[in-house]
Amino acid sequence: MNTQSTAVARLCILAGVLAGSAWPQSALSQTTAPSQATGKTAGQPAAAAPYANMPQQAVPYRRFRKPYQEWYVAPSTLAYDGGARSVPDGDLAHLQAVNIGFLGPLDKDNYDSQYGIPMLHGAQLAVEEANARGGDRGKPFALLVHDDLPLWGASSMAIVDMYFNQHVWAMLGSVDSASTHIELRATLKLELPIMDTATNDPTVTETRIPWLMHDFPDDRQQGYALADYIFNQRKLKKIGLLQVNNRYGREGDRIFFDTARRMRRQPEVVLKFTPSDTDFSSQLHTLNASGIDGLVIWGDARQAGMILKQMRAMGMRQPVFGSSRIAYPEVMKIAGPAAEGLVVVTPLDPTRTDPQWQQFRQRYQARFHTGPDAYAAYAFDGMNVLLAAIQKAGLNRGRIMDALRDYEMKPYRGVSGTAFFDYALNDIAPITFAQIQNGQFVYWPEHRTDWKSKPMGFAR
Amino acid sequence: MRIAAQLRKVSSQWRALLGAGLLVLAAAGAAAQNPPLYTKWVNYTQANGFPAGEVFCVTVDGSRVWAGTEHGLVLLEDGRVKKIFTTADGMVSNAVMSVAVDKQTGDVWIATFGGASVYSAGQFRNYTSLSSGLANDLVYGVAVQGKYVWLATTAGASRLNTYNGSWSIFNETNAPFQEPWAYSIAVSAKKVYIAAWGGGVVVYDIAGQYWRPYTDPDGEMEIVLYRNQGLIHNIVSSVSYNPDTKMFWASTYFGLSGYDGRNWHNYLTKDSGLISNFINGVQSRGNEVWACTQGGLSELDYKTNTWVTYRPDRKTGRGEVLITYPDGKKSRMETPTSLAHNYILNMDFQGKDIWVATAQGLSHGIRQP
Repeated sequence: MNTQSTAVARLCILAGVLAGSAWPQSALSQTTAPSQATGKTAGQPAAAAPYANMPQQAVPYRRFRKPYQEWYVAPSTLAYDGGARSVPDGDLAHLQAVNIGFLGPLDKDNYDSQYGIPMLHGAQLAVEEANARGGDRGKPFALLVHDDLPLWGASSMAIVDMYFNQHVWAMLGSVDSASTHIELRATLKLELPIMDTATNDPTVTETRIPWLMHDFPDDRQQGYALADYIFNQRKLKKIGLLQVNNRYGREGDRIFFDTARRMRRQPEVVLKFTPSDTDFSSQLHTLNASGIDGLVIWGDARQAGMILKQMRAMGMRQPVFGSSRIAYPEVMKIAGPAAEGLVVVTPLDPTRTDPQWQQFRQRYQARFHTGPDAYAAYAFDGMNVLLAAIQKAGLNRGRIMDALRDYEMKPYRGVSGTAFFDYALNDIAPITFAQIQNGQFVYWPEHRTDWKSKPMGFAR
Repeated sequence: MRIAAQLRKVSSQWRALLGAGLLVLAAAGAAAQNPPLYTKWVNYTQANGFPAGEVFCVTVDGSRVWAGTEHGLVLLEDGRVKKIFTTADGMVSNAVMSVAVDKQTGDVWIATFGGASVYSAGQFRNYTSLSSGLANDLVYGVAVQGKYVWLATTAGASRLNTYNGSWSIFNETNAPFQEPWAYSIAVSAKKVYIAAWGGGVVVYDIAGQYWRPYTDPDGEMEIVLYRNQGLIHNIVSSVSYNPDTKMFWASTYFGLSGYDGRNWHNYLTKDSGLISNFINGVQSRGNEVWACTQGGLSELDYKTNTWVTYRPDRKTGRGEVLITYPDGKKSRMETPTSLAHNYILNMDFQGKDIWVATAQGLSHGIRQP
C-alpha cells in the first residue's frame, strides 16, 4: 500500500465524532477519534468502549465476568486536587531563560543512545524554533540536558537536580521505561510536568499521576496491532515468540502474549535471548521443531537481522513479525535478502508526503545533517506541546499540567502524524505497519478488523 | 428553625460538639452511632513561620513533632516551630520524604531526595549510594526495627545493621519484587512491610528470613475483577501495620486495601465513605484506619464500618466533616477551623490527637472529648 492510500485510510478506526470539543490544535476542525472516545468528550461520563483501543477479543476475563472496577476510562482518571496551582508564579522578568529539563540516553557507549540522540535533536529543534518565534513572552527557552546512564537507577537524581538546582518548569524524557518510572515517582512529590516521547512501556501512563503525558505508541498499541494482523488478517495459528531478555523485551511482549492467549492463539513457544547474543541456533531449532507457522521477535534491529539471517540459512521459511525497534534499515543491512517479507509495527511512516513532515525533514536535515527518525519526530512534537503549554499557562507547574490535560480525548497533529490522547494522557492513535519489500520498507496504516471505517481526514 | 429542630434530636455528644463550635448542617444519619470527631484544627503554614509548599511527612516523637518539607526538616515542640534543619546544618538534602525515630536511642532517621541522614547527639551523619550500602539516593521511606534501619529507595530496599554498620540491599535480584521501586516501609515485631510501586506489598519475615509478595491477583492494571479479590492494585504508595488488629493496610492510587491474614478488605469511593481513590498514605491503630487522599483525610472505623472525612470547604474556608454510616446514609457538618489543605500526604498520632501533612502546611487535629 502506498503513502497516498495511507493518508486516506490511516485512522479509519474511529467510532465517534468529537464535535464541539475545544481542540488544542485549531487546525483540526473535523475529525473522529479512536473508539475510546465514543460519543464522549472531556467532562462527560466515561465511555463504554474498552481502555486503550483494546480489541474486544483482548478484554481480560471477558468470557468470565465484568470487572468490579475499570480504570483509565473516565474523565476523573488524572484528577488533581493538590496545591500546585496556587504556588506563586515564576517571575519571568527576573529570569534569563525559561528552563526545560531533558533526560535521555546520550553516551555513545549506551546502546539506547541510538534513540536518545535523535530524541535530543528533535527537542532541540523545537526549542530553537520556538525561540526564533520569540520564546516565552520574549524570554528564550533553555534546554538543560541530562544523560540517562544505562546503570540502573543512576539517573534517578537527574530530576532532583533539574527541580532544585536548575529550576526547570517541565522536562522531557526518557527512553528507558525504568528511568521514566523513576521520574514519575519523583514528580509525584516534586510536581514537575513530564513529557515522555519515547518509552514503549504502557504502564507509565497507568499510574493515575497527572504530571506525565506520553505521545509515543506504546507496547499496548503495538501488541494489539500485531496480534490482530497476525491472527485475524494473516490467519496464522501457531506462533513462536522470541524476546530479548531485558526490560524492553520482557515488558514489551506481555501485551502481545496476553492478547494472543485471549484470541485463543497462545504462542506455542516463548524463548529468550540476551542483548549480547549473536548465535540464535538453539532457540531457532526449538522454534522450528515446535511447528510454528510464524515468528514474532521482540527486540532490536541488530539482533533481529542476525536472527533472520540464521533462520533462513537453516531453511526456516515462516513469516516473521517484529516490534517497533526492529523497524530500522540496520535489519536489512545485517540480514540482507533474508529480511525480505519481514513485517514490523512502527511509530512513523517516513515516506509520508504531507508538507508538515516534509518541511520538518528538511529543517532537521539542515540542522543535524541527517534525517529524522521516529524518536526525533515524537520529541519535536512532544516538546512543542510542552512549550505551548508553558506559553499558555505561564510559569506555574500546576497550570502547565492543566494545559497538558487539555489534550485528554483530543488529537494533536504534529510532524509524527496525528496523536490522540486518552484520559490517561497516553497517545492511543493507530500505528503504522511496514514490510520489507525489495530491500526497502513499505508502509501502511494499521487497520484492525474490529474497526469500522470512518474517514479521519488526516493520517499519522 | 430547621437547623434548631435537627439539633434537638442529636445525642449529648453532638451537643458537646456544638458547644465546641461544630455546626450540624445535615444530619441524615445523626441517630446512628457517631465516632469521635476532630473538630479543632491548628495549622502551621507559611503564615506562621512554617516552610512553604508541600509537607511530605510527619512523625510524632512524644511531645516533639517532625515534619518533612522540600525546604528542610521542621521540629515542633509545644506547638511551636523550634528549628528548621537544612543542609546548612549538615543534613544530606532539604527534601525530606520520611522520618523515623529509634525509640531505643532517640536517633532520628531521615529519608530524603539526596540520601539518608541520621540526627544523633545533635549532629547529622549522612548516607548516600556512593558512601554506603544505600541502594539509591532517592529515599522515600524509613523505619526502625530493632537494630535495623530499613530504607525504601527507588532501586530497592536497603537495610542497615546499626550494631555493626553492615548493609543489605533487597531488590528484584534477591527478593520477590515484581518491581524494585520501594515507596514506603512499615515494621512490626515480626515482619517488615514494603510498599513496592508496581510490585504490591512485599513482606519480610524476620525470624524466617524469607519474603512473601502480595500482588494484585487479577494481574491487570486497568481493572479490579472482584471487590475483595486481594490487593486492589500493584501501585502501592504506602503501607501500615496495625498491632492492635494485626492487619496491614496498603494505600494505592486505586483505592484502599487491608489484609487480616485471611481475607482482604478493599474500599473504593463507590462502595464506601472513602473520599478519593487516590491515596498517598495510610495509618492504622485500634479500629481506626486513616487514608491520606488527595480529596481529604478519610477515617474508617473498621469495627462499625463508619467513615469520617475531613477536608476544607473551599467556599467558606471552614472545616467540612462528612460522615458515612454503615447503612450508607451520610451527614455533613462544618467546623470553624479546618485542615490546611485537602491534599493529604501523610499523618501520625499523638495520643488522641493527630498530625496531618498536607499540600500547604501541617495540621494538628484535636479530638473533642
